[in-house]
Amino acid sequence: MVVLMARVRVWVGVAAALGLAVAVAVQAQTGRRVVSMKAERFAFTPSEITIAVGEEIEIRLKSDDTAHGFRIVGGDVDIRIPKRGQGEASVRFKGDRVGRFAFECSHLCGAGHSFMRGVIVVRDRRP
Amino acid sequence: MTGARLPAGIALSLAIAAPAAAQTGSLSGYMDFHFNKVTREDGVIDFHRFVLLFSHAFTPRIRFVGELELEHAFVEGQEEAGELELEQAYIDFLIARRFNVRAGMVLVPVGILNERHEPPVFHGVERPLVDTVIVPSTWFEVGAGVHGELGGGWRYRAYVLAPLDAEGFSADEGIRGGRQKGSAAAVPSAALTGRVEYLGLRDLTLGGSVWLGRGHAFGTPLETGVRVTEADARYSRDRLELRGQVAHVAIPDAGEINDAQTFQSGIDPNIARGLLGFYAEAAYRVWARGSPRDLVVFARYEHADTQHRMPAGWLPLEEFQRKALTFGLTYFPDPDVAIKADYVWLRNRSGIIRAPSSFNVGLGWWF
Repeated sequence: MVVLMARVRVWVGVAAALGLAVAVAVQAQTGRRVVSMKAERFAFTPSEITIAVGEEIEIRLKSDDTAHGFRIVGGDVDIRIPKRGQGEASVRFKGDRVGRFAFECSHLCGAGHSFMRGVIVVRDRRP
Repeated sequence: MTGARLPAGIALSLAIAAPAAAQTGSLSGYMDFHFNKVTREDGVIDFHRFVLLFSHAFTPRIRFVGELELEHAFVEGQEEAGELELEQAYIDFLIARRFNVRAGMVLVPVGILNERHEPPVFHGVERPLVDTVIVPSTWFEVGAGVHGELGGGWRYRAYVLAPLDAEGFSADEGIRGGRQKGSAAAVPSAALTGRVEYLGLRDLTLGGSVWLGRGHAFGTPLETGVRVTEADARYSRDRLELRGQVAHVAIPDAGEINDAQTFQSGIDPNIARGLLGFYAEAAYRVWARGSPRDLVVFARYEHADTQHRMPAGWLPLEEFQRKALTFGLTYFPDPDVAIKADYVWLRNRSGIIRAPSSFNVGLGWWF
């Protein structure tokens, strides 16, 4: 049993290392910034992301409690963030033009659901 | 907030390792029931809360949220036999990220738990004593106000609401009995309440709340100012969760209210002019983070003194100067289902009336 557990740990470690290596390689190739975002009753953290116009980011969303949603207001993105411990969701966003793009929880998650909002700010590259 | 329509293709989405999640429409809710065995008393089993939440979007910027609660499973017209309560029913007018308007029946934004009270969100079968007799959760009232995010991790909400009914104040539960609950609430003056939260530090949430208004003894011409101030913090990192809260209630003219009620009913309510409560809680996830199942152990120390400062001429009822040590377990077979067990070791300052401790088991869920 102990030997089996040790082997499992080794394989988990190898898989994690491979995953990290793949992620680093993808980022290096695409130049896409990855932003980790936590969703919990009743806030996204961080709730404000600033990018430069033309920049593409990947937002990786993980819940710390129940299932939430991530919807970009006025956009075509509306995905489910799985419950705690059941994986993560990912969204790619490219700031094609300067502006403020609101996002919000789209899955009723409790009494303060309406407070779960945030914004992606796309700024001009010029100083 | 600019809700600009995005050009096609500006944003792409994909899900990673997301299982087929349960589908919920516009109806959600939470429920809990529990068994309480108080020392020297028979055990009681109670289906405490059956709550349904509704939402509707008239437009992307005009939205309704409602919360209807049935307490103690059965309504007979008296609180002891159950209550049917409209805890929330408001419309949000979403104008900008920094400034939105809300009107209707709203939760008073005081404390950690009053706005975050779903059973899987807090440890312990019953809510903390401080969130019962100092901050009277669930505290809700009719009114209107504003809320928003200011950037940099700051967020706020502020409402104008109906005031309290001082005839309901008591030595045991402070201002709890003074909630008008939006039921033909008398409004000789308006109350102001607000909360500021800071989420700018990793894994930490800081909050501060205030409620300023008056308590009217509607059977008399008397009234008193009431001021509730509160501060709290929550920290969560890896397996560790910490939270703490301190709350104070000031009722400067409590003596006059006591006199008036004694004259009217012959019973002195012994209302204090100052109530003080605080608690600190530590919880640890025994099972590895990342598992959909969690087992959490926790301990909480509370101080809930509803007789903290008395008006001149009144002595405190020492049985209401309470301290509690609660320790227990929460098992999550799913993040939305909480099986709870705890023991509450309750003490007071009275040498005559002993505070009863209790063993509690409960099951609560959110969907």
